[in-house]
Amino acid sequence: MTDYLLIQALNGLTIGIIYAVIAAGLTVIFSILKIVNFAHGEFYMMGGYFAYFAISLFSIPPLAAVLVAMLVSFALCVLAERTLLTPLYSPATERKGDYGILVTFGISIFLRNLALIIYGPYPLRPPSFFTGALIAGPFIMTWDRVFAGGAGIVMLIGLVVFLHRTPWGEALNAVSQSRESAAIVGINDQRFYMLAFGLGGALAGGAGALVGPIYSLSPSMGLIPDTQAFAIVILGGMGSVAGSILAGLLIGISESMFVALFPDPSRSLTYAQAFSLVILMIVLLVRPTGLFGRATTAME
Amino acid sequence: MRALTFGGGVLLLALIAAFPFLVNGYWLSVGVLAMFYAIVTASWALLAGYAGQFSFGHMAFVSLGAYTSGLLVKWFEIPVPLGIAAGVIMCGVVGSGVGFVGLRMRGPYLALFTVAFSEVLRIIFVSEVEITGGSGGLEVTPLFRTRSDMPFYYLGVILLAASLAIMQALVASRWGLFFRAIRENEDAAATAGVKVLRFRVLAFAIASAFAGLGGGFFGHYVGILTPDIGSVDQMGLVVAMAVIGGAESIVAATVGALGLEFLVEALRSYGQWRLVLFGALLLLTMRFARNGLLALGWTQVERFDPVRRMRRIIREAGE
Repeated sequence: MTDYLLIQALNGLTIGIIYAVIAAGLTVIFSILKIVNFAHGEFYMMGGYFAYFAISLFSIPPLAAVLVAMLVSFALCVLAERTLLTPLYSPATERKGDYGILVTFGISIFLRNLALIIYGPYPLRPPSFFTGALIAGPFIMTWDRVFAGGAGIVMLIGLVVFLHRTPWGEALNAVSQSRESAAIVGINDQRFYMLAFGLGGALAGGAGALVGPIYSLSPSMGLIPDTQAFAIVILGGMGSVAGSILAGLLIGISESMFVALFPDPSRSLTYAQAFSLVILMIVLLVRPTGLFGRATTAME
Repeated sequence: MRALTFGGGVLLLALIAAFPFLVNGYWLSVGVLAMFYAIVTASWALLAGYAGQFSFGHMAFVSLGAYTSGLLVKWFEIPVPLGIAAGVIMCGVVGSGVGFVGLRMRGPYLALFTVAFSEVLRIIFVSEVEITGGSGGLEVTPLFRTRSDMPFYYLGVILLAASLAIMQALVASRWGLFFRAIRENEDAAATAGVKVLRFRVLAFAIASAFAGLGGGFFGHYVGILTPDIGSVDQMGLVVAMAVIGGAESIVAATVGALGLEFLVEALRSYGQWRLVLFGALLLLTMRFARNGLLALGWTQVERFDPVRRMRRIIREAGE
């Protein structure tokens, strides 16, 4: 039993890293565009399919396919941002928060149902990155999970380095602190809205590509990770990337413990989906500012 | 002009009354469903468009009302109207509960909370197979044991008319003014003496009760309930109906729901493309005509009607 729990904990750790990648993308979008992206789970889903088709149609090797998926997701998000989100930056738009909610919700409905037509309702499973499993004593973990966890860590480190050690990252930080001040020092804010939304989507898409061989791909796969990512972002404190990473690990591990310990196995899987939703509700109720967050929940 | 409006109104009423005799059974059933969607969409417009509380859990209240009524009628064999009433009360109570706990949240946080609430409820309905029948569905006693959908249609028209009358009276009253004040700026409304907390909860309770009414009517019409009615995609359909019609007006949202439901069925052969189309239409409406297509069309009419145009100019000059 303890071995089983440990294996579950390790599985939870890798999934937690993936959640953290999704949530970090959501955080980047939130901190720059000041909107909650309700379509984030759908970008994650699309990324998984992009990788799948890069492999099956263009016979790109699975590892490179993750990068292709990220690039295509980036392009898709920039397109969505340029066509639909520009009113968010215009002073003429009333109640921008409401606009952001409805438009991203619309994008999610559109993409999910488009995926249902293009890809079909049946789950697809892309080929493994590495076949076989890592066996160390009593622990067994497929190489795909090991790779997904490792690649997720690389993405997170890359993001943190990009945000803190490059001029573009610093400019993003400046825009997130004050649009006006950033404009005064000569930062073209439009370019950085594009960059932020594209970057957030690329992270979600990369996470989807990593998850493909572990679970399968389906058009509705974005629904639950979406709320999980929200729970993580809020738990970690809106806008804090480090907080998101910690909260992602916390939720990933506690979720797989929940599945392992739920008394009724026939229901444990469906209720596991509800688990993160309940966490999200509790977080919103009890500590809407997160573990490390600010004092209010109102969006400025 | 007034005579024209009056004549148009009489014609519309006659058309609504004669509708079952003009179409076949299939389109009559579409008409019944259109009444259901109209009630739900109008109440969502009341909550989101007027009171500014973006709930994505509205369909959860529809399914809560439907399941409450369906299960009560099944177990305790109470009359169907009583079951529907119980569903309405249930939704009002749970709705005020959700509205109350949602008081701390604004904008997207409330939307997130209600999405989560909605999905948790749907997962419970899917999982508790012994009680709800799970995804296989729950058999519900029909309200009328007739072959034709005609009684359902007329009941739907009456329910919709009554709901619209109540909601319109509400938004035209002081309470409606409070709702809009809260939507525009909660702090300013509170400073002006609006009891923000009370009216936010009230808006939630009222809108949810109407959703429960719609749900009860729907359940006892279709006869078999599945948890899918509370899904996020169904919510998307209702949001699209409200936004495309015009979410800031209850009448416009209703027209949007009626129009889109008939469009949904007219495009039935396109299957899943319909939700894609409505998603795209929702996005285009938000992007280019945020007050809805009805308002957009109306300004075009006004532009070509010299009398209305004059009146508008005078009105705007007055302001």
